Amino acid sequence: MARRFLRRATVAGIAATALLTSAACGSGFDDDAESSQTSGPAALQILIGSSGEAETKAVQEAAASWASASGNTATVTPAQDLVQQLGQALAGDAPPDVFYVDAGRFADYASVGALEPYGDKLADAGDFYPSLRTAFTRDGKLYCAPKDFSTLALQVNTDLWTKAGLTDADIPTTWDQFTATARKLKAKGVTPLAIGDTRDRIGAFMRQNGGWITSPDGKQATADTPENLQALQYVKSLLTEGLARYPKQLDAGWAGEAFGKGSAAMTIEGNWIKGALQNDFPNVKYTVHPLPAGPKGQGTLSFTTCWGIAAKSKFKDQAIKFVEAMVSVEQQMSFAKGFGVMPSRQAARDQYTQAFPADKAFVDGAEYAQGPVNAPKMDSVLADFDTGLQGLDRGDPKALLERVQKNTQAALAG
Amino acid sequence: MATDVLAGPDDPRRAAPAEPPRRTRRRGGTRSGETAAGWLFVAPVIVILGLFMLLPILMALWVSLTDWNGQGSPFTSRVPLVGLDNYTDLFTRDGLARQNFMTSIRNNLYYVGIVVPVQTALALFLALVVNNRMLRGRGFFRAAFYFPSVTSSVAISVVFLFIFANAGAVNRLLALFGIDGPQWFADSRGVLHLLLGALGMDEPPRALTSGGPFGLAWWDWLSGPSVAMCSIIILVVWTTSGTFMLMFLAALQQVPETLEEAGKLDGATRWQRLRFITLPSLRPTMFLVLALGVIGSWQVFDQIYVMSQGDPAKTTLTPAYLSYRTAFRDFEYGSGAAISFVLFLIIILLTLGQRWLLRERDSGRRLRRRADRSGAETGRRS
Amino acid sequence: MAVLTQPGSGPMIHLPGEDDPQPPRRRRRRGGHPAAAFAGYAVLVFFALVFLYPFVIQLGNAFKTEPDAAANPLSPIPSVLDLNSVQRIFDGTDFPLWLGNSTLVTIIVTLGRVFFASLAGYALARLKFSGRRVVFGAVVAMMAVPPVVLLIPKFLVLNQLGLYNSYAALIVPVLVDATGVFVMKQFFESIPVSVEEAARIDGVNAFRMFWSVVLPMARPALITVTIMSFQGSWNELPHTLVAVQDPALFTLPRGLADLVSGSLGKGSQYPLKLGAALLATIPVAIIFVVFQRYFVRGANEGAEKG
Repeated sequence: MARRFLRRATVAGIAATALLTSAACGSGFDDDAESSQTSGPAALQILIGSSGEAETKAVQEAAASWASASGNTATVTPAQDLVQQLGQALAGDAPPDVFYVDAGRFADYASVGALEPYGDKLADAGDFYPSLRTAFTRDGKLYCAPKDFSTLALQVNTDLWTKAGLTDADIPTTWDQFTATARKLKAKGVTPLAIGDTRDRIGAFMRQNGGWITSPDGKQATADTPENLQALQYVKSLLTEGLARYPKQLDAGWAGEAFGKGSAAMTIEGNWIKGALQNDFPNVKYTVHPLPAGPKGQGTLSFTTCWGIAAKSKFKDQAIKFVEAMVSVEQQMSFAKGFGVMPSRQAARDQYTQAFPADKAFVDGAEYAQGPVNAPKMDSVLADFDTGLQGLDRGDPKALLERVQKNTQAALAG
Repeated sequence: MATDVLAGPDDPRRAAPAEPPRRTRRRGGTRSGETAAGWLFVAPVIVILGLFMLLPILMALWVSLTDWNGQGSPFTSRVPLVGLDNYTDLFTRDGLARQNFMTSIRNNLYYVGIVVPVQTALALFLALVVNNRMLRGRGFFRAAFYFPSVTSSVAISVVFLFIFANAGAVNRLLALFGIDGPQWFADSRGVLHLLLGALGMDEPPRALTSGGPFGLAWWDWLSGPSVAMCSIIILVVWTTSGTFMLMFLAALQQVPETLEEAGKLDGATRWQRLRFITLPSLRPTMFLVLALGVIGSWQVFDQIYVMSQGDPAKTTLTPAYLSYRTAFRDFEYGSGAAISFVLFLIIILLTLGQRWLLRERDSGRRLRRRADRSGAETGRRS
Repeated sequence: MAVLTQPGSGPMIHLPGEDDPQPPRRRRRRGGHPAAAFAGYAVLVFFALVFLYPFVIQLGNAFKTEPDAAANPLSPIPSVLDLNSVQRIFDGTDFPLWLGNSTLVTIIVTLGRVFFASLAGYALARLKFSGRRVVFGAVVAMMAVPPVVLLIPKFLVLNQLGLYNSYAALIVPVLVDATGVFVMKQFFESIPVSVEEAARIDGVNAFRMFWSVVLPMARPALITVTIMSFQGSWNELPHTLVAVQDPALFTLPRGLADLVSGSLGKGSQYPLKLGAALLATIPVAIIFVVFQRYFVRGANEGAEKG
């Protein structure tokens, strides 16, 4: 009996040891060692969240020419789901050296030390638009170089417009005009507006009424202000009156698709809609205008992405060189031509407006645009806000904003 | 199990009379040899199950007690230990984590509450029809009903996204009957709320909106599954009924024919035979199907991931998907792991509970039935 | 395990089907009510439509133009046969890559599962070694662990072992499944011991005994486990979500899921998606048609664990 027990115990012991050692042999249970820097030719891994084939190709070409000119190698991988892939990669030990960081997620990465704050090592970091610098600054440090940016504007379907008997004079510049025009469209049986059901679209109305989710310094929650409430009540009235529809209600994946299909006469999207319409709906004729101003003036939202460099990268110096090449005026203009983004450098502004005069409404938006909320742990709060917005046509805007306020306070405090 | 019965007496290998004693003599040696071989044979299974099931569970248990944010290894001293905070956040602390979790629990409760009875009833019904010996071509129909179960859940989800589009096949079909179909995947309205609305109750009663258990108002608990969730429910019932039908068929095949015949001779109607002979003998299978159904329904993930990602308005959020999202999209691995363990616990408790229930009821009946069943028992296949 | 019968006696679960010879006594009683038969067929045909028509829709719409699919989703026949979407599946997506990955992973996983399951199943059924009961108990316990709660845990381990984002991560963790071990063990227990005893007299060692004596007799169970593994591995999505992130390592379900969630740009492009889903379904469908009776058995044996 005792022998049998002994043998069992030995076997169990061996099995357990085998499990533990094989686990420990992997990457180890402690990763205190600072990532050692390697000089000389680098093999850069670049992870991008591509808007489509055009962007992937343009970035791959740019990276290849940088690599051959500098004697390094650079592999560009388009992520299908950047947030998830990057999250899993950062949890591992070998994150990509360079990757896109969305402004809305920037604070999450920066606050946990995943990003190398290299911004001030760049030669002419001061040339980026101030609002874009702010979007990627934390604790006074510019972490990464803005890649490009976009703003929201109003797109108008020319054919539906004329069919409904409307003229250029009907293009709305204020909320009141917008309501009036929309009613005319609806009377003709046309859905007036397709609008995305998230804070990234509806938030523009909050700005136009002087409100926003957080204070300008990102330290205070300001969601439940009367300004925001009035803005949401306005959007809710558009939805309930049938003057605006969410994309899913129009059988579309996003508002641009609904607009392209001619399911709605207007939509509120960013400059990315150019390329998308050209690809999927080349026959749609449309014009772009600034968003109608609200009671507190003009307002729009801006979106931007930066070239993040991993704090764990073994090739930080080479990575910075790579980013410098990617944000040069020349390269940014070539990206602009390749896949329709707007350069993040003020120095490229004139060149851009010359090349793309139709984008004036988008570029001008930079003056009064609001960037994404720059605070960590806000994503689930904002996702919850979006959930509320999805049900805005039936929901209570006041209760929704109070919920957002409470959750934002909790997130900012933690 | 009488395994040797089939090896008939004419089998020469079996005849050797000296075998049993020799085996006893060799026993010690054989056993130690077999111990080495035995452990060697099961080693791959032990190593892989140990490494990728047991070890992960232990690691995740650890992570669920920390505030690991997904940077570097979770097993360093720098990762803050938060004790049971991740768990209490789900149940007692008012906040977004609890709200999301409780919403997902509500959704999954309605999902289980509809999917399990419907798929069980449908599976049983199909099995009874397919088992009808009068009909020809039953093999084809059996295959047709089962086919959806073997195909990829992702591929099927793609098809159903198309079918349930606002101007898609289902709504076209409904339009043929003059019904204006809903905007399936965009519609976050709860079915119960819709019913109450149809009865003229548009505004929730004040009493139900103010308070409720776990930070979710009574009115929200009582929403019913959303229209969007209903389309996922339809998809799941459609894919799983075939599997359960096969189980019922296998069980039906074991209903002793003598019993049916006896029923017929006694002049029992078709319905009476079903009610008093067939269904009672399907009890063990029924339990199995219900148990597997409940366990499977708490794990719904693929369809949610592909079709709705928890939208619209969180009404298709389930604990399984929420734990994934919390960990991999919000980088709150501790909270995500905690949700996983709560889900784990729910599933285990349900399994044990159902088992216990059946045992209770069974032992009572078994006594009563033992006498008149002894004859039937012999008719069963072994 | 009342449903298991002796090896070689055909399907372990005997299901009604047209291939069953009916005992003559039953034939005579077969007449029945014509009205009842009609109702029975009506029910069968109705449900056959419900269960199969979605596939018909899928097939039809994969060959439509996008506007045609949007306008006539119910019709199984394209108004114009359009191969553009099918073309784009191969040109515009990584479909061939996913197909290759899926094939590779499925083959290795299936071979591994069948081999390891039969090896362990044999040991648990036949070899008398100390700790056997504990191992078997552990295997049964593992069958009860719901896979979706293992997503985060598996990711942690793969990461810790440095396997994350590799073919090994796709394959190794799923190389053994407890249900297969259970099925093989039950089967081996149903094989007469006498065969092995004869071989044992000839002094055959345990592995030879397993490989050349017992395994050849286990054909039906091996096919069942093969099919269960093939189907499970071919259709697996959640594991790939936490095992890899490099698009070069995507399998079909993962690639399809990404097509749907918007890597196509954000348009709907249903003909393309339906076509890709259809192509992903074909291998399983073929195997289903050929080995139908083994699928039936697999479904029931998977259930026996409950």
